[in-house]
Amino acid sequence: MKTRTEILASGFGGQGVVRLGQILGEAAVKQGYRVTMLKSHGTEMRGGYVRSQIVFSKEPIDSPMVESPDYFVALSLAAYKAFKHLVKDGMILYDPAFVVQLDEGLVCVQKPVPAKDMSVENFGRPVFANTIMLGVLANLVEELDPGTVLDSILHVIPKYHEENKKAFEVGYELLGKR
Amino acid sequence: MKRYLETGNFAITEGAILAGCRFFAGYPITPATELAEAMSYRLPQMGGIYIQGEDECAALHLCIGAALGGYKAMTATSGPGYILYADPYGWAIGCEIPLMILNSGRVGPVSGITGAPGQGEFYLTRYPTQGGNFETIVLAPNSAQEAMAIVVEAFYLSERFRTPVTVLADQLITDGFEDISVPENEGEMEEMGFRKWPRKINRGPEFYPATDEIDIPPVVLGHNTGALCSDWTPTEEGYDIEEVAAHHKHAYRLIYKIRNHRDLFNTLYEKTFMDDDPDLVVVSYGTPSRVVNTAVKKARQMGMKVGALRLINLWPFPDEHFTRKTKYLSVELNWDGQLVREVQRAAPKDSKINFLGTCGDLPTIPDLIEAFTKILRGQSLERRGWELEGW
Amino acid sequence: MDYLSKKYLRSRKIPSTACSGCGLGLNHKAVVQAVYELGLEVEDVVWGTSIGCAGRQTFGTWKGDGFAGTHGRVYAIARGLRLTLPPEKKIILTVGDGDAFGIGLLHLIHASRCNADMTIIVNDNLGYMSTGGQYGWTTPHGSKTDSSPYGMYEHNLMSDGMDVLGVLKHAGATFLARHVAMDGQRAVESIKKGIQNRGLSLIHMVFPCPTNFGSRELGTRDTVKIYEWIENQAAPLGQEKENTVWATGVYFDASNSRPEFSESIRKNVETIRRTAAL
Repeated sequence: MKTRTEILASGFGGQGVVRLGQILGEAAVKQGYRVTMLKSHGTEMRGGYVRSQIVFSKEPIDSPMVESPDYFVALSLAAYKAFKHLVKDGMILYDPAFVVQLDEGLVCVQKPVPAKDMSVENFGRPVFANTIMLGVLANLVEELDPGTVLDSILHVIPKYHEENKKAFEVGYELLGKR
Repeated sequence: MKRYLETGNFAITEGAILAGCRFFAGYPITPATELAEAMSYRLPQMGGIYIQGEDECAALHLCIGAALGGYKAMTATSGPGYILYADPYGWAIGCEIPLMILNSGRVGPVSGITGAPGQGEFYLTRYPTQGGNFETIVLAPNSAQEAMAIVVEAFYLSERFRTPVTVLADQLITDGFEDISVPENEGEMEEMGFRKWPRKINRGPEFYPATDEIDIPPVVLGHNTGALCSDWTPTEEGYDIEEVAAHHKHAYRLIYKIRNHRDLFNTLYEKTFMDDDPDLVVVSYGTPSRVVNTAVKKARQMGMKVGALRLINLWPFPDEHFTRKTKYLSVELNWDGQLVREVQRAAPKDSKINFLGTCGDLPTIPDLIEAFTKILRGQSLERRGWELEGW
Repeated sequence: MDYLSKKYLRSRKIPSTACSGCGLGLNHKAVVQAVYELGLEVEDVVWGTSIGCAGRQTFGTWKGDGFAGTHGRVYAIARGLRLTLPPEKKIILTVGDGDAFGIGLLHLIHASRCNADMTIIVNDNLGYMSTGGQYGWTTPHGSKTDSSPYGMYEHNLMSDGMDVLGVLKHAGATFLARHVAMDGQRAVESIKKGIQNRGLSLIHMVFPCPTNFGSRELGTRDTVKIYEWIENQAAPLGQEKENTVWATGVYFDASNSRPEFSESIRKNVETIRRTAAL
């Protein structure tokens, strides 16, 4: 029986990787889960990728390390290359604007989420890509309640509430009903 | 009780405030900076004082000054700052000043890697200053929530023992986010097992009595008690004296007030699968212990008779956990092996002692399972990191 | 024991363990006299000391509360204490030149920067005398000490146009004076002004050490000789001679002109506590 959910998000600095982890973690806390969220190390920030490791569970969490992610959100090619091998039964969600070169040899499911392009298309700029990705995750991650994820987005990001709500919906609809 | 998704730095700040800390002096250093920032925000709200020292040495001396003025005080740093405490730490031990000192371990020596976890100060926290003739109390939590509780406990012990207490955390605890419950009143604090001890004032005339007793109020200046405290060997009234017999009395107190009252904190440990005399005991503290716990649970499912011993009270070293002759594995965030030496010393002579060190990143579960398997088969562990680097 | 000693000092510590002929007692007496003339009582003062001759000999002499910091750090301890003591309590520190101008200079500068209310008497015996006589940061050029057998050839803080009080003035201290141990009532008056300044006051007081400095540099432990040697090189400010090293009197007086450290911090904390902002 699966007792814990692991999500790994990684990309460049400034893409909101830590904030994405914080929003997911906060939603999980609101739902009564025990949560850990390790943000990446300073060295990594300079070395090409930032990393958020989110774990939540109904039980107390021992290891806070994401060693076998259920979902890996890859927002840069460096991050994709660094962590793709961790994913076994889980799924990789990648933004094709950054992950331009796919490893077709992987056995896991890999789904493109063109969040950056969708943000530009819908809002004229790329800043809502993160919220779009969160919409996708809210749909996919069964343990999380989509309404709670949206609440957390609006709580953590105090500005642009209307745009964020719309971006969330755009993401939520992307991969169809769960 | 309020629940947050917050960092260990937040948890430690709230714990310190709950414990009655109203003074923080620090110096910016990764990964303890955010703790100083949180204190700078929270303390004034509580009528407390936040200031920055010109260096870590000054910061701890500022804390000493505040403690002498009757405040519960703390500082926080990482390894490169902790070494600059050598001077004030010794003074505070000798003058028996209650203080809470947080060290968030990173990769050393020197500046090393600033933003990655390490455990290089296991022995340094035992001997944070020169001269010997003292014991230190060191506690190591392994999560943000526990860090809050341990910080409250450290303040409590520091008052009762009249000594600085170091809380040894690591970068993953202080910087990592976690769900954290913060008690909102005394009742909830009690519920969570938080103990508090008020600052009392020593009225003299014996400020440094030759006894191993605890609960002797510390020196507080400004009340015209005639209190004296200095870096020299004190007489019972606090006068400086150059006399070996007097120093022996003083040292006896510094050593045995702690050794003889270990029952106050030696219950701070965690045992997992330790009831059936496991063939391998995995010893660790801090964040690595969380991975160890997961790995040990997995190993049990695989049929390996492995148990985990997690130390919270690091110093004085709890020898009593190592009376059984068996196989031990020390898992640490350093490559030189520190905790393992103490395990080696404490365990029965022909026990098989092993060491698995990583630094900058936690050990992985496959690494640990592989290590357990090898040790249980009677093989020794290679220093894989070294081999990979071609050393 | 005279009246002053009886009122303010501990009989156990009198006479002190200082060497015969040591001038520290003159400085110490001037401070106690100043305290007396200001009408302060034992409970009004917390007395701190440092390491070295000046610190060790004055530690535990004050009848009230006292402390001795580690070498050079007493300024940081006193600053923490200043924040947590009632504002009306005076902090007086008797320290040495090595402590204040060497190992503790950084902390002294920062105590000056924030104008922490304390009065520091730097008892200067021209080097490290309690360790047997090594040169320090105020030791005159050419002086022979155990660590300058050919004559002191390092730069110091008191020649070539340097003056350590200038450093402290620009660091923010609000009262600065200089005297030699034989200045008597003139020194007492300066110390009184220092204590009355609600801010950082420092009085630099040179005193003769016959045992080490005298015997090495002057070739004699004759107290009269070293007293004369110091007096010859001292003159009141404005009356300096060609050979004057120590111009005595009030060097800088900006008493009560800058916000005091603990007062300003308390005020800010109280505002934040009440209004959640500044």
